[in-house]
Amino acid sequence: MTVDFEPQSEEEAAEIVRAVAERSARLKLVGGGMRGIVADVAADAVLSTRRLCGIVSYNPAEMTMSALSGTPVSEIEAVLTERRQMLAFEPMDPRGILGLTGEPTIGGVFAANVSGPRRLSAGAARDHLLGIRFVNGEGAVIKSGGRVMKNVTGLDLVKLLAGSHGTLGLLTEVTFKVLPLPPASATVVLSDLNDAEAAGAMARVMAMPYEVSAAAHLPESVRGRFLGGALPDGPATVLRLEGLTATVSARAEKLAQACSVAGPVAVLEDGASRKLWREIRDVAPYADGTERALWCISIAPTSGHQLVAALRLETGVDAFYDWQGGRVWLRMEADPEAALIRRFIKALGGGHARLIRASAAMRAATPVFEPEAPAVAALSARVREKFDPKGIFNPGLMG
Amino acid sequence: MRVSDQIAFLAPRRSVLDRREAIIADLADLLPPGCLVSDIRGLVPFETDAFIAYRQLPLAVTLPETTAQVAAVLKYCGRYGIPVVPRGAGTSLCGGAIPQEDAVVIGLSKMTRILDIDLANRTATVEAGVTNINISEAVMPEGFFYAPDPSSQLACTIGGNIGMNSGGAHCLKYGVTTNNLLGVKMVLFDGTIIELGGKALDAAGYDLLGLICGSEGQLGIVTEATVRLLARPEGARPVLFGFSSSEEAGACVAEVIGAGIIPVAIEFMDKPAISICEAFAKAGYPMDVEALLIVEVEGSEAEMEATLTSIIEIARRHGVTTIRESQSATEAALIWKGRKSAFGATGRIADYICMDGTVPLSQLSHVLRKTGEIVARYGLRVANVFHAGDGNMHPLILYNINDPEDAARAEQAGNDILRLCVDAGGCLTGEHGVGIEKRDLMLHQFSQADLDQQMAARAAFDPQWIMNPSKVFPLEGRPAA
Amino acid sequence: MQTSFTPAQLADPHIATSEQILRKCVHCGFCTATCPTYVTLGNELDSPRGRIYLIKDMLENDRPADEEVVTHIDRCLSCLSCMTTCPSGVNYMHLVDHARVHIEKTYKRPLGDRLVRAVLAAVLPYPGRFRLALKAAALGRPFASLLKRIPPLKPFGTMLDLAPSKIALASAADTPGTHRIDGVKRGRVAILSGCAQPVLRPEINEATLRLLARLGIEVVVPEGAGCCGALVHHMGREEQALDAARRMVDAWLKVKEEGGLDAVIITASGCGTTIKDYGHMLRLDPAYAEKAAQVSALAKDITEYLASLDLPALERKTLTVAYHSACSMQHGQKITTAPKLLLRNAGFTVRDPGEGHLCCGSAGTYNILQPEISEKLKARKVRNIEATKADIIATGNIGCITQIATGTVIPILHTVELLDWAYGGPKPAMLEKVR
Repeated sequence: MTVDFEPQSEEEAAEIVRAVAERSARLKLVGGGMRGIVADVAADAVLSTRRLCGIVSYNPAEMTMSALSGTPVSEIEAVLTERRQMLAFEPMDPRGILGLTGEPTIGGVFAANVSGPRRLSAGAARDHLLGIRFVNGEGAVIKSGGRVMKNVTGLDLVKLLAGSHGTLGLLTEVTFKVLPLPPASATVVLSDLNDAEAAGAMARVMAMPYEVSAAAHLPESVRGRFLGGALPDGPATVLRLEGLTATVSARAEKLAQACSVAGPVAVLEDGASRKLWREIRDVAPYADGTERALWCISIAPTSGHQLVAALRLETGVDAFYDWQGGRVWLRMEADPEAALIRRFIKALGGGHARLIRASAAMRAATPVFEPEAPAVAALSARVREKFDPKGIFNPGLMG
Repeated sequence: MRVSDQIAFLAPRRSVLDRREAIIADLADLLPPGCLVSDIRGLVPFETDAFIAYRQLPLAVTLPETTAQVAAVLKYCGRYGIPVVPRGAGTSLCGGAIPQEDAVVIGLSKMTRILDIDLANRTATVEAGVTNINISEAVMPEGFFYAPDPSSQLACTIGGNIGMNSGGAHCLKYGVTTNNLLGVKMVLFDGTIIELGGKALDAAGYDLLGLICGSEGQLGIVTEATVRLLARPEGARPVLFGFSSSEEAGACVAEVIGAGIIPVAIEFMDKPAISICEAFAKAGYPMDVEALLIVEVEGSEAEMEATLTSIIEIARRHGVTTIRESQSATEAALIWKGRKSAFGATGRIADYICMDGTVPLSQLSHVLRKTGEIVARYGLRVANVFHAGDGNMHPLILYNINDPEDAARAEQAGNDILRLCVDAGGCLTGEHGVGIEKRDLMLHQFSQADLDQQMAARAAFDPQWIMNPSKVFPLEGRPAA
Repeated sequence: MQTSFTPAQLADPHIATSEQILRKCVHCGFCTATCPTYVTLGNELDSPRGRIYLIKDMLENDRPADEEVVTHIDRCLSCLSCMTTCPSGVNYMHLVDHARVHIEKTYKRPLGDRLVRAVLAAVLPYPGRFRLALKAAALGRPFASLLKRIPPLKPFGTMLDLAPSKIALASAADTPGTHRIDGVKRGRVAILSGCAQPVLRPEINEATLRLLARLGIEVVVPEGAGCCGALVHHMGREEQALDAARRMVDAWLKVKEEGGLDAVIITASGCGTTIKDYGHMLRLDPAYAEKAAQVSALAKDITEYLASLDLPALERKTLTVAYHSACSMQHGQKITTAPKLLLRNAGFTVRDPGEGHLCCGSAGTYNILQPEISEKLKARKVRNIEATKADIIATGNIGCITQIATGTVIPILHTVELLDWAYGGPKPAMLEKVR
């Protein structure tokens, strides 16, 4: 990918945007050279935030960090780990499934609202984003939010920009909340449940007071592709506990006891547990070097398995479940079947499907983002127009 | 002089005032009997909310019973450019629900049905007029709760919570409204009904839900909400820590959080606040301390013990003088009852205005001391009771509202305190909202460009500026309507 | 809250008292949440905060009451749930009492309304007249539905519905005199015979006399007593209420002079709330202020008094009792645990119905004057009580007994009837069919 602009400062970025806006040209915004999202953007020029790089401030005692948007996630995580802290929303590393080699940036993570398994208990990326600075489509530098945990001063543009995929503004700096790294982690593995049984079991577990931080179900078709095949035989319903060492083992024991009525139970200790959840986070089974269509679906947790069951009657799919069943990673054998999937989601009470990976031909033919209801789509278009009146940022993306 | 003379409302639209009678007649046609208040006597109690420093009578008050009726009223108001002020339970502490002369109030107090409780997906869908505590009470027998717990949770509605992105004591661990809201049904200024989100953990498209949460009724009126429920912890226990100075208590909070210990709640009360709360709740707060922290830990017995041990160790380093664990559920309930009634209980001794700035924890002690100095300079008294764990301060400036000079001094002291919070790296409001109270301080925290962008986003929802228009944004510097 | 009264207005001691009450309110809105009418109607004008504001506006402007204000004040049950909730300590009771007097003095009600109120005020406080009226009601019952279709006469129809089908004869328990005790005398109390209660449920005071007698407490039914004034007090008929209060004060203090007095026992909590407020009601009457305060201090609900007597713990029974706390008991007098502890101690399993803070809709004459709201509250109350699956309902107020009994088949008794039975009295007739 050719990069046309690599501003080194916020002012420079604003100048570039103003110049581009003046020419009514279109600009594709990228992070550290990753494509990051499957949709193709046809633009006149590419702007990378790669050189807007560096941690601006880190205050471990207040659990906040500010960083320029092009700062690699790896750099941030390294600094946090040193102080036994973390990004609690567990952003995934998409390089495996997308077959890319770039460096994910913190701006990209928030622009795409990337969240992993702990989203179930700790919230999404957007829930941890406290403040932003961005350049709008007219080249004005705007700030919103701040660096304190509670802040309701003015409209929450922070949430709006999170997950807007660079269509409302160019993030230049992000301030976010970090949390203590849990000293211990353990995973209770409940085996031999089918998808429907697993959904029921996960719902019951989440109603128990054991503070399960993540709950996933790995059907037999994918189970062997985790931990190098070391998970016990049969479909695995996996439940993660985190916290102080002593309490994690006590809770794991109680949880295992509670689960044992449903099927065989095993407990993964710290190391294996952490590895397993990293693999779930990064969708390891589908990091298969192919371009087969991969969907990330959000739906009510108890409906995930119903969706997959319905699809199986119509087409070839493989799937596993995170977020108690509410996030479905769905790999298609052939056609992306966007219309079918979206029809079923609607019939099951709503949610949305986003195409994460597909061949160029499929991408061209498939709406990557879930189409919105007409009134909401019209509203979203008006909002976009208010941030980027000339439509210069990432044209074609997000409606 | 009425106190309300001190703050400006938007000039009423002549075209609206002149049509008052016709508008009331039309609204009566749109609503069932008993859902419209237009008699001057009946309008008076709606002239303010829990922020009593300012008042303004509305043109009429509508109390619709369904989303369709809300839509009908909004469509009508949208068509004729009639300002609309949404109202939940009227518990706003920043005047968010104070009407204006040409406004139709849309009150959601008749929409109080719980529509769906889905325990497997841990969601509740309720009408906007359902109170915050009603949600938790509805699911308590099954072992669940709704986490955000503003102190007014007994009365405040979920619609109002969404409007202000309300917080509460237990938000230290569980987050505020925006972190626990999954979906809404809402009506836009022109009567369009839209639905955002649902039972899934995230939604498609722009995070409009995130934008609406905390938008203070400027983007539309939420009529239904789907919120996340959580499983109740195994146990929970508030513990009282008494200190001989506010500074020590503040430093203790900063060190607890700094050590990576995040209890469910850390609440702070200074001596005046302790005596006010004790007078109402008789919770057994220690009366011989200068500052008190209520620290709530939860989990299994072992977990609570472990967390408490670490906190006690830190508290000792900061000279804690009293440590008292609650011994029973009744005692725990009283401790929280006292804390959560603090603002109202202040009425026993004086009128008050409540500040809501948030500051970084490292600034807590400094800001507490400065606050005391500011208030003293104006010859007033202050009681401090707030969410210390997340730096969300609530100095209650005590004054006599019947004395205009005292009221003016209180207002000025409040402004000075809020500027102090912003200058310390914090913000004007952590959970109560800007409303009308802090509107004219917005430029202290934001540049005009920042506000222009917010107002542009607002205009995408309400191009005519009819939704709660006198609030949030300074009256000068607004785009021409 | 800001007030604007002139010094001339404040010279009126009633205004001065109300101004002090208003100054405490900070308009926080907590009271709305626990107000039965706000919860039912969803209009702030039908909440304590709304009414406080209406009253304030009316008093500040020295204005006669008008229809809008009267409508919303009339809908207030005076259940005082708001006073339990209010963190600021606003004395809503005294404020709304003041407003009712102001209404009565300055507002001319429509003819039908006046008629109904005049009938209630002329009949209910007088047991003889009330008994006669009930007998007539038995004859009039077939006309109830007809009356209810004529709006101004609707309350009369409701009255017929509420009237019991069997009317008891005057009870010996109401005859003035001193009731003998068995064994050693441990105390001496006076009892309020009351007005409506001895007609509707003479069993309550009979049980009280039996139980106290067994416990060695001498009970005096004073000469010249009667209605405590609560019923007319809530209708804003100040003079009638104060006259009743003075008469009762005289009657009880005479008993005290004659042989000492440990307490004035009240078996209807609605009356208890008013009697405990005599001190305030008569504070401006130099001849009675001090005496009234004495009586208020002596006034005790029967359960409050029994709790001080250390009754023995009894063996566990199989019966489950839903305890309905009357508003006047829990909010008016703040007696919340004593009745339940007594019942538990006597061996009953006691359950608390949900939404216990909400009124059953009885509220003195409310169920007659505001039948629609009253019906809704009754249905809600019965739903909550029946959810406890209890065998018996116990409560401490005759109004609630009459109201709830028309909505459920579960027998409802006064707490003292159950206690009398448990401690050796006869099984209440109402429980014949219960295991």
